[in-house]
Amino acid sequence: MAQLFSPGADALLRLAVLSGAALIAGGAVVVAGIVRSDYVTGVGIAPAQPVPFSHKHHSGELGIDCRYCHTTVETQASAGLPPTETCMTCHSQIWTGSDMLKPVRDSYASGEPLRWTRLNKLPQYVAYNHSVHVTKGIGCSTCHGDVTTMQMTFRANAFEMRFCLDCHQAPERWVRTPDQVWNMNWSPPPNQATLGPELVARNHIHGGDRLLECGICHR
Amino acid sequence: MAGAVLTPDTPTRPGGMGRAVSDAALHDPLGRRWWIAFAAASSLLALFFGVILYLLFTGIGIWNNNNAVVWALDIASYDWWIGIACGSLALAGTLRLAGAPSGGTFGRGALSRLAEANALLCTIAAGLYPIVHLGRPWFFYWNLPYPNTLGLWPQFRSPLVWDAIDIVSFLVVTVSLWYIGLLPDLATLRDRAFAEARAKSEAAGRPRRWPMLKAQAYGVAAAGWRGSASHWQLWHQAYRIVALLGILLVVSLQTGASVMLAGSVLPGWHDTILPVAFLVNAVFSGVAVVTALAMLVRALYRLESVITEAHAEILARILLGLGLASLYGYATELLSGFLHGDAFARATLVRRFTGPQAWAAWTVLTCALLPVHLFWWARLRRSPLALALVGGLVAVGAYADHVMVLVVTLSHDFLPSSALDYRVGLWGVATFAGSVGLFLVLLLLFLRALPVATLSDLRQAGAADGAARPGAEAEAPGPGTPLWGVSAEFATQASLAAAMRVLARRYPHHGDRPVRGNAVRLDAFGPMPMPDALKGLGRRNRSILPYALGAALGGGAAFYGMCVYATAYGYVLDVGGRPRFSWPAFVVPSVSFAMMSGTLAVHAVFLFLNRLPRLNHPAFNIPGFGYATQDRYFLVAEARGPDFDAARIARQLDALPEGDGRPLAIARVPR
Repeated sequence: MAQLFSPGADALLRLAVLSGAALIAGGAVVVAGIVRSDYVTGVGIAPAQPVPFSHKHHSGELGIDCRYCHTTVETQASAGLPPTETCMTCHSQIWTGSDMLKPVRDSYASGEPLRWTRLNKLPQYVAYNHSVHVTKGIGCSTCHGDVTTMQMTFRANAFEMRFCLDCHQAPERWVRTPDQVWNMNWSPPPNQATLGPELVARNHIHGGDRLLECGICHR
Repeated sequence: MAGAVLTPDTPTRPGGMGRAVSDAALHDPLGRRWWIAFAAASSLLALFFGVILYLLFTGIGIWNNNNAVVWALDIASYDWWIGIACGSLALAGTLRLAGAPSGGTFGRGALSRLAEANALLCTIAAGLYPIVHLGRPWFFYWNLPYPNTLGLWPQFRSPLVWDAIDIVSFLVVTVSLWYIGLLPDLATLRDRAFAEARAKSEAAGRPRRWPMLKAQAYGVAAAGWRGSASHWQLWHQAYRIVALLGILLVVSLQTGASVMLAGSVLPGWHDTILPVAFLVNAVFSGVAVVTALAMLVRALYRLESVITEAHAEILARILLGLGLASLYGYATELLSGFLHGDAFARATLVRRFTGPQAWAAWTVLTCALLPVHLFWWARLRRSPLALALVGGLVAVGAYADHVMVLVVTLSHDFLPSSALDYRVGLWGVATFAGSVGLFLVLLLLFLRALPVATLSDLRQAGAADGAARPGAEAEAPGPGTPLWGVSAEFATQASLAAAMRVLARRYPHHGDRPVRGNAVRLDAFGPMPMPDALKGLGRRNRSILPYALGAALGGGAAFYGMCVYATAYGYVLDVGGRPRFSWPAFVVPSVSFAMMSGTLAVHAVFLFLNRLPRLNHPAFNIPGFGYATQDRYFLVAEARGPDFDAARIARQLDALPEGDGRPLAIARVPR
């Protein structure tokens, strides 16, 4: 009887099996990588805006308070996007002839709001409320990053569900004293381990079980 | 359709009965009939894809499911398919563990392949339902624990997750059992196809590519099976272990299905007989479908000598017994419901016979419970036609049973306001018909390409008499050719074993290797397990049972640990006030996972210890080695060192008494 397969057939078979396994494993890694990549999540990518508004300039260098523009952040679900009139409080006086600000003046004249490109999107089945987070001691920069360093604004976090759950599972690691909520370069103080649980208790935050219920965010 | 009953003294030679079966696999005897059936099945399969597309586009509302009846034909079809798969697997496993390989009256070889294949095909047909019945099927993988960006674990208390783990485990175990049994048979087909390809090439005077490719396809599928005595030893163990794991999985899955229903508050799903009744009904439907299939195959391929009247007789008795057990289950449910059930459970039982779905209950009675009583008559027990008809009817009855159990309860629970009627709709039926199409397409492909009976079992039927054919002649390899060993060809296992005993005494072995100072490694090759030759080799103690046991226990414990970690620590979710450590809910998927781990370990160890796959091997250089997968036995003394003396071994073999160890032919085998 002769050989049905040449001596090289075994090497080929092993190569095929190993390649198949590598392809499946590698494919899974690649897909997982793509899903998590900034290209898909949009983290760190600043899109073009109708006006090249700089948070770094206004908030960081000039020191305008967040709440000057995002007026409802302490009282409502939405932080609020400023109407053109807010811009014009200053820009009716300074840089009145700037080409860069022409869309703002046009919007003010016509009454047509500026159409900003939205950065921080949540799915419609997520009920998010700014006021409860801010008043219970979660600062702006925890989610939005240090916008005072952003020339053009970009998304600082992917806002995957895991991101929300990290904090809902252990809010004591992130909660701040009221005066620190607006601090854009806050990092946990050395006594966060004792301060955190204290603030959680004082603010009646029911971390863990309660904050992990589906209905907390998905109404 | 009266078939010849095989009696022990019927002269059959090894491979004799199997010959017809492997012929049918190599040369399709059905011709145009196969193609017509395949076209019909393919059109049903096309319907299936059409329905699935429409379903993905529109949603599960097309099945007439509604707010109350959330499960209807979708889950009934799934339960039906997986029930038949469970029954087939239980039958296949029982035959493997308890049945005689073959024999005068009832050999398992005729039925086990059909049961294994039916289990696999029904699992595939069932496997699609848990995915497509999800509201968003494209997120089916959310049911599996994988590193995700949601920060979530699957909810291990949920039967949906149990289903996902169950179906994956079930698929692994059924594929495994089917494939282990198939390995030696694929090798037989490989060697026969190769011989035919060489004959065709010789006749044509040039190499024929397609016949050769066909042989190579079988060869790759056979993973280089050589039928070595140690292959067979581990094969036998692997086959039996996976059969046992399969039976345990069947018990876990069917009782688990009943516990899933009992986990709800709905009436009619809580009787303590139900886990047993589910198991019995599943085995009942599975055995019924395998019976019908066996009778069909018997008629189509004229396998009256393989699937005998003895098989029919025993299948009929099993069906009758299972039918009585099933009847007992229904009767107990009714009795205990009316004796001490609550008002809602009683109302559900009454509604089964009087409500809008009463057709289902009456179908169960007339199709599943009554027809088997024909088998009280001996004449009908031996009638293939009666068996096929009753088998088909039981399958119909089993489907009605799943509809009855699910829909009657769901369409009316405790509140009048949550009672919603359900009517079988066209799309639900079309989906089911499509899944039948999938089953039939795969079944036809199986019938076309693979042996319908287990050849290695059938071979053990006959008395030990080889064909009246001389041993293979071979040219001696040239003087410069490196030598692999000396081979000797035998017609029977007895003479092989006799020669092996003599040689093993002269060339001692330890385990798989020759002892130090011995330049000869002995091995035996043959078409069936060779316990006698193994005894001579002293290689009987190898076992893969510890690996299987370790992997099953370890895998099950690891899965259970994952459930506990995920539910009690990783992501604590209050589900209706259930405790953080909801231990009973984790048992079903953990048992399923344990069976899968055990099976995978058996496979890995089986292949590793046998050093398979190995497509090109010096053993294939043995003259006439193609018959080692059909009706011949070979003893090989491999050269393992410079002291190897081929002439001396040949002399020793030739000196053995004729009929008790003297080979038909002796050859030097080049490397």
